[in-house]
Amino acid sequence: MIKNEKLDLKEFYEIRKEVLQTWPTGQNVSIEEGIKLHRTIPEERRFAWVMKKAREKRQTLLQPRAGVALIEDHIKLLRYLETEGQADLLPTTIDAYTRQNRYEEAEKGIEKSKQAGTSLLNGFPAVNHGVEGCRRVVESVSRPLQVRHGTPDARLLAEITLAAGFTSFEGGGISYNIPYAKRVPVEKSIRDWQYVDRLVGLYEENGIRINREPFGPLTGTLVPPCIAIAIGIIEGLLAIRQGVRSITLGYGQGGNIIQDVAAITALRELAEEYFRQEGFDDFELTTVFHQWMGGFPEDEAKAFSVIALGAIVARFSGAEKVIVKSPHEAMGIPTKEANAQGLRATRQAINMVEDQVIFKPEDLKSEVELIKAEVRSLMHKIYEIGQGDVAAGTVAAFEAGLLDVPFAPSIYNHGKIIPMRDNEGFIRIFNKGNLPLPEEIMAYHRQRLQERAQAEGRAISFEMVTDDIYAISKGKLVGRPK
Amino acid sequence: MQPENLSNREPEFKNMEKDTIILGVIGADCHSVGNKILELFFTAEGFKVVNLGVMVSQQEFINAAIETNAKAILVSSLYGHGEIDCQGFRDLCLEKGLDRILLYVGGNLVVGKTPFEIVEEKFKKMGFDRVFPPDVDLKKAAELLKQDIKARFGSDSHGPRNDDQAGQPEKSSPETDAGTSKARNPKAG
Repeated sequence: MIKNEKLDLKEFYEIRKEVLQTWPTGQNVSIEEGIKLHRTIPEERRFAWVMKKAREKRQTLLQPRAGVALIEDHIKLLRYLETEGQADLLPTTIDAYTRQNRYEEAEKGIEKSKQAGTSLLNGFPAVNHGVEGCRRVVESVSRPLQVRHGTPDARLLAEITLAAGFTSFEGGGISYNIPYAKRVPVEKSIRDWQYVDRLVGLYEENGIRINREPFGPLTGTLVPPCIAIAIGIIEGLLAIRQGVRSITLGYGQGGNIIQDVAAITALRELAEEYFRQEGFDDFELTTVFHQWMGGFPEDEAKAFSVIALGAIVARFSGAEKVIVKSPHEAMGIPTKEANAQGLRATRQAINMVEDQVIFKPEDLKSEVELIKAEVRSLMHKIYEIGQGDVAAGTVAAFEAGLLDVPFAPSIYNHGKIIPMRDNEGFIRIFNKGNLPLPEEIMAYHRQRLQERAQAEGRAISFEMVTDDIYAISKGKLVGRPK
Repeated sequence: MQPENLSNREPEFKNMEKDTIILGVIGADCHSVGNKILELFFTAEGFKVVNLGVMVSQQEFINAAIETNAKAILVSSLYGHGEIDCQGFRDLCLEKGLDRILLYVGGNLVVGKTPFEIVEEKFKKMGFDRVFPPDVDLKKAAELLKQDIKARFGSDSHGPRNDDQAGQPEKSSPETDAGTSKARNPKAG
């Protein structure tokens, strides 16, 4: 049975031997060399330091997603986002083969990209490029650099990229499994991420603070805030237990402004509360807001509007970072120009609302309290069935559907809950599946959905869900009938 | 309102033998949202849908088609690797004896914004019968599929007849785009 306990170093090194053998570039990875390299990195290029400053200065930093197959092209792309896009933080988005540990296919993708003269991969195959290749990327940019991916087993990827000088690593045992994989047991991915977090903890013990960021948006599709927040808190607890100190918890824009601001507020306050409750007080907690992760309008003018709303809500929520989309989102991977446009649109919107405060916490109180009550119900049950252990509780919770992510591909996820928007665009839960939410809370959700049904003159139905999923790409937040 | 509710419309087809189609997202792609919607939609359209879900290999598609005597394979790809993942699909079908099967593909099929005509040509050259952009009207795609099945399999096709379709409730199709749906999982963390 898995436990939320610090991974024993001896065991860590035993696992490490195997991990490094899974691809030739793993063979000479050295944590010691990595630590030495990190010591040469100035503060302003360290993710943890920059995030901490952002919290102190109440800034909202901008970060795009980006990654291509070949090293030189990837460097060009990042430099462009730095100069033309004025990104505060830089990514290296990893390709989908690497995310599934399919390095041979990634190798083919590299070769075919060379032949085609353009990237045929949807990201940067960091494992195949190895420490040397990754280091060239790190040395070519002047902003903090983070690995962004979607990898259930990211142990080798973490070893290589951290040794190469990346200062932040996204993901977690739930958020990079349930939405990103089909057949990976939750227990296995949690274990593999305990390894990643232990590795980060090892750097920490040597004075190198690496930032960790669980992936908040999950499937990006009508995810009720309480589910995203509970999972973020769990992954935060798992990371801190392994020695992580700089942690950025995320949340994906749902669409209703009040609900989104309330969600970030609840996330920040509850994470702090649960971390302390497990006995931790030495951590640097920040938040990240993801601009709309669902379907986008194809029309670039309309896409900019979606981007700008995300920017504004990110700012009002007080998140220290916003992950930025591009006007090409509907079509897939953006060009560097489109990516920089997304950054500039975001910057403009944030600058215009930066000094304004329209959402005071007291205005949001009822929504914050609702979300908090929901998260507490989920967390209470998880601790209960884990007999006090959050890792064991999480595994059991997924098995029983007590944690359930809507629209996820994983066979280890129940997929029974049915979320939809209410008449004001709040994401509500129609069918809770096995989620341990109290009856009075569910009654409130259903009441709000009933208001919509009445307004639209139709019964609450699964059609509302599909209407909602495509609504934003068709120009509206709530999927109304024609 | 479980998804099963959509099958309320099914009884009219109950006594007919339905055409089987195979559905799945190819390669290492885990975009699951559109896939779930396609399953509901094509089921409501009267097909017997075998949904293989996400991360399906060419071989898995073909095995399922052979086992179920399917008329068509509907391949989705949202993450940009479609070009690599789909190469040789038609040849492998022929090699395994699937010499008549219809191959459809749809989604965000290549890396980067590319004019759809170029994408379509590329995939037609690979042997796909139809290629769909991400914002395809599903209703139209279903009509094309019925026509294509009739044209290729003729009398041994037993798809729902036209009069049955006319009898469907007006709002039966989720008014979605999405040969493979743009609403999807995040493609990057």
